[in-house]
Amino acid sequence: MEWITIPDKDPNAQLEHIYREKTDKRILKRNPWRDYRLHITVLILVVIAELIGTITIPIAKDVEITIMPLIYTIILGLVFYLAKPIKWIQRKQARIAEGAMMLFIGVLIAKLAVSSGQSISLIFDMGPALILQELGHLATILVLPIALLLGFKKEAIGMTNSIGREPNVAVVVDKYGFNSPESRGVFAIFIIGTVIGTIFISFLVTFSLSFLPLHPYAFAMASGVGSASMNAAAIGPTLAAFPGMETQIEAFAGFSNLLSFCVGIYIVIFVALPLTEKVYDLLEPKIGRKSIMPKKEDE
Amino acid sequence: MPDLIDGSENITVHGIFNWILLLAIFSIITVIGNYIGYKHPITDSLIGMFILSLLTLAGVWMERYLPFNISSIIYISVMGIILAFPGMPTSEFVSYYVSKIELLSIVTVFLAYVGIGMGKSWNEFKALGLRAIIVTVLVIASTYLGAAVVAHIVLVMTGVPV
Repeated sequence: MEWITIPDKDPNAQLEHIYREKTDKRILKRNPWRDYRLHITVLILVVIAELIGTITIPIAKDVEITIMPLIYTIILGLVFYLAKPIKWIQRKQARIAEGAMMLFIGVLIAKLAVSSGQSISLIFDMGPALILQELGHLATILVLPIALLLGFKKEAIGMTNSIGREPNVAVVVDKYGFNSPESRGVFAIFIIGTVIGTIFISFLVTFSLSFLPLHPYAFAMASGVGSASMNAAAIGPTLAAFPGMETQIEAFAGFSNLLSFCVGIYIVIFVALPLTEKVYDLLEPKIGRKSIMPKKEDE
Repeated sequence: MPDLIDGSENITVHGIFNWILLLAIFSIITVIGNYIGYKHPITDSLIGMFILSLLTLAGVWMERYLPFNISSIIYISVMGIILAFPGMPTSEFVSYYVSKIELLSIVTVFLAYVGIGMGKSWNEFKALGLRAIIVTVLVIASTYLGAAVVAHIVLVMTGVPV
């Protein structure tokens, strides 16, 4: 989820518009056709990915790993930027790709919304599960002890209160200040999640589908983790695993993502952050290690 | 976090055409991918992408020009749900053409842009070290599995058949 409104607690809080302004700055000032080579590169990546198609690797009886075109495009895209085999994908193009991506999230959301609209009565029937699974995201706090054992201090509060996407970054920065250890923690999760989150979650979902005997709707609902790109990567293998249930899975995934977006942020503010602090105060004296972070507050 | 808030250039809003142009580029790439991957007829897919792009455009416009502090994602979701709501006069038309666009076709194109865009964070990523990577991976896994397990328990308790 790359755009969000943060509740107005602080009148000078400007954070809520950072993402919108970033997008506008990058794509409104510049005629996108000037970067036609970026878009042609994307077209070529997509054609290659769709031509290869889905690959299924059986690893055991009844267990198989599905690798989908969406994995090829994301990895090829990253490689095209990092290895620079073509000289016109530079930092500037990466910024434009990122700005454009924030507009294209809308198309993804629109498609999911149409599926939700078609299945609206089913969504009302599954209301309790859809709403309660939002509380399942609190499971991130279980990682707090591990973060402490790894030597993080207050950073761990920023790291484990939520999945650490843009809205969560905004909430943590708003509460603790830009140069606080908590904010450093959430920034670290944000950056690492940006680079490996999408790829990681698609493999995580593939494995979960093979090994966990959960309800198909549960997988669909869980894919709404509160990040559009991770949501997209999580839906892929889920759709492939339950053929014939496309509309329902899209409806639940889309609606759950919408819930993560509207309700999730309040769960973070009113439940997850206070709870993370409580658990931190409880555990830090017992299992806290010597801080691995350099002692400086101004970065 | 240099890139989260860098730059202070002002936005000059002659930009709606750039939105339209970008959405048109995105639609064309998606329709080509949709044709190669799923063999859906190109004309139907183009109409489907036109509907989705129109929703997006309306959403981002409303976010910026209506006097409410509401994100475009909410506007787009609400409009999409209403247009496809069974019983609405638009429902059949919208559902038919949008169903010609596979979600995965959109996702594949979208993630190509994500891939190129995220390369920019590579240096900051490398500086963070293994311990932060371990925590991130566990956080993502626990948020997904936590939601999946809770959803499953509630679905079973409320007696939803598989």
